[in-house]
Amino acid sequence: MLSGLPEYFRNHGLKTDVRTLLLLRRAMERGLVTTLGDLYNVLKGIVVKEPEDMGPFTKAYYGYFLNIEVKYGQSLEDAILRSQTFQKWKDSKLQEDDAETSVSLDDLVNQFLDEVHLTSYDIKEVISGRELFDKNDADQADEPSEQDGETESVERQLEKMADYSDISLQELLERLEKIKKQQKDKHGGGSHWVGTGGISPFGHGGAAKNGIRVGGAGGGKMARKVMGDKNFFPIDRDALLNDNNVDAALASIKGVIEESAIEKLDVPLTIKTGLKRGGLFIPELSSEKNEELKVIVLIDNGGYSMSPYIRTVQNLFRKMKTRFAHDLETFYFHNTIYDNVYKDERRTQRLPVENLVDYDKNYRVFFIGDAAMAPYELSGQSVESLQSITKKFKKCVWLNPEPLRYWPGTYTIQAIKQIVPMYPLTPHGIERAVRKMNSRISTSN
Amino acid sequence: MAENSYWTGSEKYLCDPQLAQAFHMARTLGMPLLIEGEPGTGKTELPIHYAENQNLDLFVYPVGSKSNVEQFVARFDHVKYLRDSQIEILNAQRAEKGLESRLSTGGRNPELLGDYVAKGPAAQSYASPNSVLLIDEIDKAPREFPNDLLYALSHRKFIMPESGEEVAVSEQDMPAIVITSNREQELPTAFKGRCIYHYIHFPDKEVMAQIIEKHHPDVNDGVVKVALDIFYHLRRLGLERAPTTREILNWLKYVKDHKPDEAIRRIEGLEGIGALIKTQADMERVSRMLGTDPGQFSMN
Repeated sequence: MLSGLPEYFRNHGLKTDVRTLLLLRRAMERGLVTTLGDLYNVLKGIVVKEPEDMGPFTKAYYGYFLNIEVKYGQSLEDAILRSQTFQKWKDSKLQEDDAETSVSLDDLVNQFLDEVHLTSYDIKEVISGRELFDKNDADQADEPSEQDGETESVERQLEKMADYSDISLQELLERLEKIKKQQKDKHGGGSHWVGTGGISPFGHGGAAKNGIRVGGAGGGKMARKVMGDKNFFPIDRDALLNDNNVDAALASIKGVIEESAIEKLDVPLTIKTGLKRGGLFIPELSSEKNEELKVIVLIDNGGYSMSPYIRTVQNLFRKMKTRFAHDLETFYFHNTIYDNVYKDERRTQRLPVENLVDYDKNYRVFFIGDAAMAPYELSGQSVESLQSITKKFKKCVWLNPEPLRYWPGTYTIQAIKQIVPMYPLTPHGIERAVRKMNSRISTSN
Repeated sequence: MAENSYWTGSEKYLCDPQLAQAFHMARTLGMPLLIEGEPGTGKTELPIHYAENQNLDLFVYPVGSKSNVEQFVARFDHVKYLRDSQIEILNAQRAEKGLESRLSTGGRNPELLGDYVAKGPAAQSYASPNSVLLIDEIDKAPREFPNDLLYALSHRKFIMPESGEEVAVSEQDMPAIVITSNREQELPTAFKGRCIYHYIHFPDKEVMAQIIEKHHPDVNDGVVKVALDIFYHLRRLGLERAPTTREILNWLKYVKDHKPDEAIRRIEGLEGIGALIKTQADMERVSRMLGTDPGQFSMN
């Protein structure tokens, strides 16, 4: 059952394996999963291991369980609106309501999300809230039931949510599996999979507790919030660096540090403890934490092409600085480096390249720029400057915000790429760049 | 059966539903809950308030740079053991010489190794069913510490040093374990895999107002609103160290003794801003912005 799940989620860059399934099964046995929303929450707790995973996870979840593919650069809302799943759901929904109320598309998406993310906790809340309500209004006991028949546009209806706690685990699994099959089969199967039984894929119309209603605040709490929350716009690890995925980028850039921890024989300590032991020398190892990670960032801040990225890039390296204690030097240039780089953003304080290469050779150098300019701007002098930098600092990479597909067509990108290894300015690109930096021999590719 | 009802917070602590669900899930599965998030979002508060609210025993292990599993689980007190065994000999010698006075071992018997095991928070909480165990700021620990915990977490038992005594707990009585981290270092994958993970996002204005309400119920609403406006404005500036929940609570504590009008005046005058701003560079930045445009902080 659900045997394809680990692989599907792995393809989204998440760490899932057979243990994920075992845990999920255990959670089901304990009755933690009774709605689709529960499934989302439980899986989230098991699969998501850092905030950066949220985006890919949501994407994978919608793809796997709801057959809603979130395409590159698409927001979740768009993806839902375009999906067949939503279409079918909408059709059956409108049928049920006899299409008497014209509901806006936004509201429909809200309802859809409400049903998808409805958890058993919400059901409990609703039910207990209702009981309270009934008790308080004992004399008007008849009225609420009458109201059930009407449709108030303000209230959101959590339609046919079922409390399936009494269903056996086996049944639950079978139902899940069936739903999945129907989802795969686009033609057949038809109406039932996200249809008449409500969105809950475990749904069967009969056992559902029909028409429990929640006021705007209760029911709507997930929907818009979910959409408005940037974490629910699946973050693409291949999207260009922006404020939303800067943390993902930070996670990749951290690799620079982790790889550089080495164990070393601590000679003085070995002697000291050996003498204390009365001459029995046992080697003492000390792990040398690389506290002196040194980074030079060279940013192209000239021209309009770079301006959208500068703030984000600075943000990234600033975060990096607060997270790890180390030296971070930032310099600026325009288009390419001639004989100077600049210490300030307005490029007034020069620092000659020959002084730049006086820095310790252990500095890692990040060039950040689009490397796109008129061919004549990349002069022989500039090439020499770049070469002298890469010669001095063995660990150099160039991060380029220009979309990868434009690279082959831009002469200067090709030329600079020969000198400095170049990677796209995306979390993935940064990760690869860092891995490249950490490999022993750094030759340009 | 372990206490695993769904807990949503107490009068003093506002528990985000997402967090409450994750916590419930962790307890039901008998797994530790790993909470990460910005400093000052109430990670540590969760188990403390939960234990208090549910009347459960709480064991806390604050992690530091020198933490090791011995401190966490149990260590064998060699010094005491040595002393007591010497005392035995001394007492025997005294008895030989016909001396009456004897030295005491404080009720410990050197024959019983278990008497010399000093139990740490982990062993204590495993020994008392249904307790709450907080491992605070695990990211401050040496790298190998989380890995050393793996066995204990997945097998629910510790073996006491020297005495060989086993402290085990059934899955039902498993303590609710909460682990917090500020993400200062990455935790090993194997470790994370044994935890239920939850990331606390920074609360938005409405939630923050509720949090403030829980801590300072006596503060005037108008004061809170003005303070919140400034607080979120400061957070948006992209300071090196953005102010957090803890800081705004302290700030309000500072002004709350004044009358509402006076308090608002003080807040707008950014009095006691030192409670919010924690680095020199940030302070300079804020005062520079104040200098150019003082109205910016009044109201938006």
